[in-house]
Amino acid sequence: MGHKDMDGKVEGGETILEVRGLTKIYPGGVVALDNVDLEFKSGEIHAILGENGAGKTTLMNILFGVLQPDRGEIYMYGRRVRFRSPLEAINMGIGMVHQLRKLIPAHTVLENIILGHPKAGRILDFKKMRREVEELCGKYGFRIDLDARVWQLSAGEQQLVEIIRALYRGAKILILDEPTSVLTPLETEAFLNSLKTMSKQDIALVPFVTHKLPEVFAISDRVTILRRGKVVKRLETKDATMKALAEYMVGKEVLFALSKPKVNIGGEILKVENLSAMNDKGLPAIRDVSFTIREGEIFGIAGVSGNGQQELAEVLAGLRRAESGRIIFMGKDITNAPVLERLKMGVGYIPSERLGVGVIGVFSLVENILMSLYFDKEFVNRGLLNYKKIREYAEKVVSEFEVVAPSINTKAAHLSGGNLQRLILSRVIPRTSKLLIANLPTTGLDIAATEYVRKRLLDCKEKGMGVLLISDDLDEVLQLSDRIAPIYEGRFVSIIPAEEAKKEVVGAMMTGAYSGR
Amino acid sequence: MWPFIARSLEVTTILLIAAIGELLNQRSGVINVGIEGLMLLGAAAAFITASIWGLIPAFIIGMMIGGLFGLVHAILSTSLKVNQVVSGMGIWLFAMGFVTYWADRYSGPLPRGVVSPRIYELSPMFFIALIIVVVIWLILFKTHLGLKIKSVGENPFAAEVSGVKVIRTRYLCTIIGGMLAGLAGAFLSTTYLGAWSHLPTKGLGWIAFALVMFSLWRPMILLGGALTFGFIWQFAISPETIYAGIPAPLPILRMLPFIATIAVLITISREKFRRKWALSKPEALGEPYIKE
Amino acid sequence: MIGLETLKLKLERIPVVSGSQAARISLLSLVLSFIIFSIFLSIEGANPVDAYTNIFSFAFDPNLGLPTTLHRGLFLLLSTLAFIVPYSARLWNVGMEGQFYLGTIGAFAVAYSLPTLHPALLIPLMLLSGALFGAGYGALAGYLRGKLNVNEVVGCLMLNNIAFWLVYLLTVGGPWAGIAESTSRPLPPNAHAPIIFYTPFTSYLAVGIAAVLHVFLSKSVLGYKIRVLGNSPTAAQHVGINAPRTYILVMTIGGAIAGLSGYHMWAGDPAFLMIPRPEAYKAIGDLTYWGLIIGLVCLLNSLATVPLSIFIGSIMTGSTVLVRRLRLPFGLDVLFLGLVSITFAAFQFFYMYRIRRMK
Repeated sequence: MGHKDMDGKVEGGETILEVRGLTKIYPGGVVALDNVDLEFKSGEIHAILGENGAGKTTLMNILFGVLQPDRGEIYMYGRRVRFRSPLEAINMGIGMVHQLRKLIPAHTVLENIILGHPKAGRILDFKKMRREVEELCGKYGFRIDLDARVWQLSAGEQQLVEIIRALYRGAKILILDEPTSVLTPLETEAFLNSLKTMSKQDIALVPFVTHKLPEVFAISDRVTILRRGKVVKRLETKDATMKALAEYMVGKEVLFALSKPKVNIGGEILKVENLSAMNDKGLPAIRDVSFTIREGEIFGIAGVSGNGQQELAEVLAGLRRAESGRIIFMGKDITNAPVLERLKMGVGYIPSERLGVGVIGVFSLVENILMSLYFDKEFVNRGLLNYKKIREYAEKVVSEFEVVAPSINTKAAHLSGGNLQRLILSRVIPRTSKLLIANLPTTGLDIAATEYVRKRLLDCKEKGMGVLLISDDLDEVLQLSDRIAPIYEGRFVSIIPAEEAKKEVVGAMMTGAYSGR
Repeated sequence: MWPFIARSLEVTTILLIAAIGELLNQRSGVINVGIEGLMLLGAAAAFITASIWGLIPAFIIGMMIGGLFGLVHAILSTSLKVNQVVSGMGIWLFAMGFVTYWADRYSGPLPRGVVSPRIYELSPMFFIALIIVVVIWLILFKTHLGLKIKSVGENPFAAEVSGVKVIRTRYLCTIIGGMLAGLAGAFLSTTYLGAWSHLPTKGLGWIAFALVMFSLWRPMILLGGALTFGFIWQFAISPETIYAGIPAPLPILRMLPFIATIAVLITISREKFRRKWALSKPEALGEPYIKE
Repeated sequence: MIGLETLKLKLERIPVVSGSQAARISLLSLVLSFIIFSIFLSIEGANPVDAYTNIFSFAFDPNLGLPTTLHRGLFLLLSTLAFIVPYSARLWNVGMEGQFYLGTIGAFAVAYSLPTLHPALLIPLMLLSGALFGAGYGALAGYLRGKLNVNEVVGCLMLNNIAFWLVYLLTVGGPWAGIAESTSRPLPPNAHAPIIFYTPFTSYLAVGIAAVLHVFLSKSVLGYKIRVLGNSPTAAQHVGINAPRTYILVMTIGGAIAGLSGYHMWAGDPAFLMIPRPEAYKAIGDLTYWGLIIGLVCLLNSLATVPLSIFIGSIMTGSTVLVRRLRLPFGLDVLFLGLVSITFAAFQFFYMYRIRRMK
């Protein structure tokens, strides 16, 4: 029953939610959860830590009524319960704050909060509900404009709306899915404060985290680590270290350091001068950015997603217009050159979105690889594709990049995440001769795939290519890059050589501490 | 002059009823390109019923047939996740074939005596149409149900976690949309035309569909659009009642409503309007709702 | 509302359906349409077996229905091909009706201007003109979609209606009016299509186009680019494929093919050799929509569309027999096509899901 306390000093009040022996097996025999026991108490922040595939998502979905367990019981306030749907979970007091916002961007904050509320009645009494929501915000110290449209809000504000919505529905326990993944440290601080306030009001808080280990320390009182569906360790946060947590998560010694090959940096490949561009909403996304990339160099852009990295990658790849400034590639001005021209000149782009953008699911491996070959005369004969040559080439790159699939005629949709990324690499990298733009190349991949991708990036560096690395993983950027540019609100705060880059400094820069406003 | 206005208000009625129905289901995220087909089915069913049992049963049957095929579209696109355009096209083409086979044998006018009551030459259906528009406006903007409908059209996943029954809402809106299209068709064949001919809708259903797009999904703008196009359509048919001696021959005039539609479509695609239009569009429109 | 859980069934998503599986599903939908059609025949008091025997024996008899079967079937083939090319880029070319009318105008304009030109010159010119006019009309729809972002379905439908009135303008009491004042003048004899083995030469042209398109879509660079665009416009953009230009291109090709059907239809059938009354030419124009269904059922495979088009042509021809001999009502052929439309739409479901028993 429950877990052993480490030394009796546990914070928190009554047990709100408890799961015992929770087991879930997917068809095909995959054991997602194996006999999991957990306890969540009011007034406590209890983090759940685990890799992709450890069972966190399954556990979350069961707690929120999206999935049913095969074995095991759930108890709320000591009473046995079953959540057959999210609605039942909500009605019992479980609130969920999702990683991918489940809000209606076009509607106002107030409308989002009251949507579906059982007490809302048929005709909407906005005045009354507004008063109630305002009271709630006052109680927890939340500040938000109820009439703003959600699309106008920042990531942190949107998360706040989800929290208020859950609380207004009477949530006594809040499940938070990767809560700080898109927040700036400033927002994370504000978030932490609101968590503390909610704990004081005896709400139980359960953040689910993948790999932002530093956040675990910042926000939780206690942490439970899941690995392959089992609980492997329960700790009080103050007794944990980063290294220990990582080891429990992964199950073996994790080398945080990658050996970077010594490469001679060559001539200038890319020169960007005063580049500015807008985002899809017509607001400035990149402001006056200037930098260069040389042969054999990995240039890393460090920052929280949403600060202009995506737009920068798109402008360089030719997918977005530059409002002002210049891009000079191999001495030639390509500022508004079409995509095809850039590809032919030796630029390669690994997009952040895989299925649907980097690969087409219904196409076979060959047909996908063909996407980077079709404009090359070597594979085309009088307007017709030379399938013999194309297939030979495809076999070659597929084996070189270790893409696991029955044959090159297998449709891409049947591949797993890591394999999809290998397929994309096999398509792009051999056809890139000068500059590789890697946009979030390891996001969502497991450790093995991540290591493989990083190895490949270093390979490119060794071959004398210039690599632009965009990543939201600060450790990754620090390890792989030769020079690092922290980006904040569309501007490069600085450009620092790797030897001089200190993690705390870079982290502070990319969160606005040095923006001089 | 007045008879002309009365007739153009009849066209407005047809456009308005069909379009407001489509507006409702589009607000819930379901696009139904088969409106023309639903109108045809409603028109045929109503015409045949009117010949036997009179007008009121005709309207009821027309609505029910429209609702039935609205249900078919809902099942195909919402439950079976068939591509909404394919489903709508399938229903439209089915309607073209089925209605030709079923109703063309009754070509000709309605029996004598089956005539709509009129208030100063205006059919009461016009006022009913206005009432329907106001009711739908109230529902969408003043009630919780309306908020739910709109949320389903914007982000069904967000709506689901707030406890909104997405599937049920989409079914409701699609069926009502179908019923209204059927009603519009019924009015077309029994009152506006008073006779049956091969595929009598002549493209009106498509104009109604286009109207929904340019109305920015707002009932009041839709009303304006329906009034305008009702006038243009009727003008194209009998211009001499407004302006005797129009130099353009009949076919050119008959092209006008379609040219006008293209012109409006082009206008709203210009940069100036595009943002406003993109913001008004229900974000999940046309996308199947597949629970993760 | 569909409570699958209560029936102890559950849906399993298929990531991607195989070619042979997809073909089986299409065939199944056709079979189901037949079954439902048979039910209608029975309701009308006819014995289905009897009816089918009548239909097919008439339709394929060289002395009776075969010429019409082939002629109409290959007319449908052209409409189908005109639909397939744009749809490979996921554009809905529902404008075949309008492109057909424009092709008619283009061909007839040449014939009326140069009636004494030798057929070996006149006919190719008519074909070229018809294709160009159709291509232009298709390009217009493509431009509306590619550059102006106007929904192509609505755009095409509007253009179709406009084109209908254009033909009306020219024929009914217009510059091309014949003695009857509501049809056009007859085509000059030099414009008539030579008949080879029961069917105008344009039928063979159509089959040839189907073969060319098959190679084009599956093996050419351009065909590949079109398919990438159809599957993912975003991916296409990332690899340098120009969407607006490609959209206009596919619509132009589609329009050209539909334009050819203008000559084929009127100059290829000895019963016409002119543009008939509006009701009649509209009825033919409506037939072009079936190209949509045939194209979808054949899963965009140009070669498969040939037999299916001819088959549908046989049903169209044969059903006139049902009207005459068995006294069945008009419109059975379009009813059949309507049934295929709706069953095919319903069967789309099977391309995406399997139904499995729950444990």
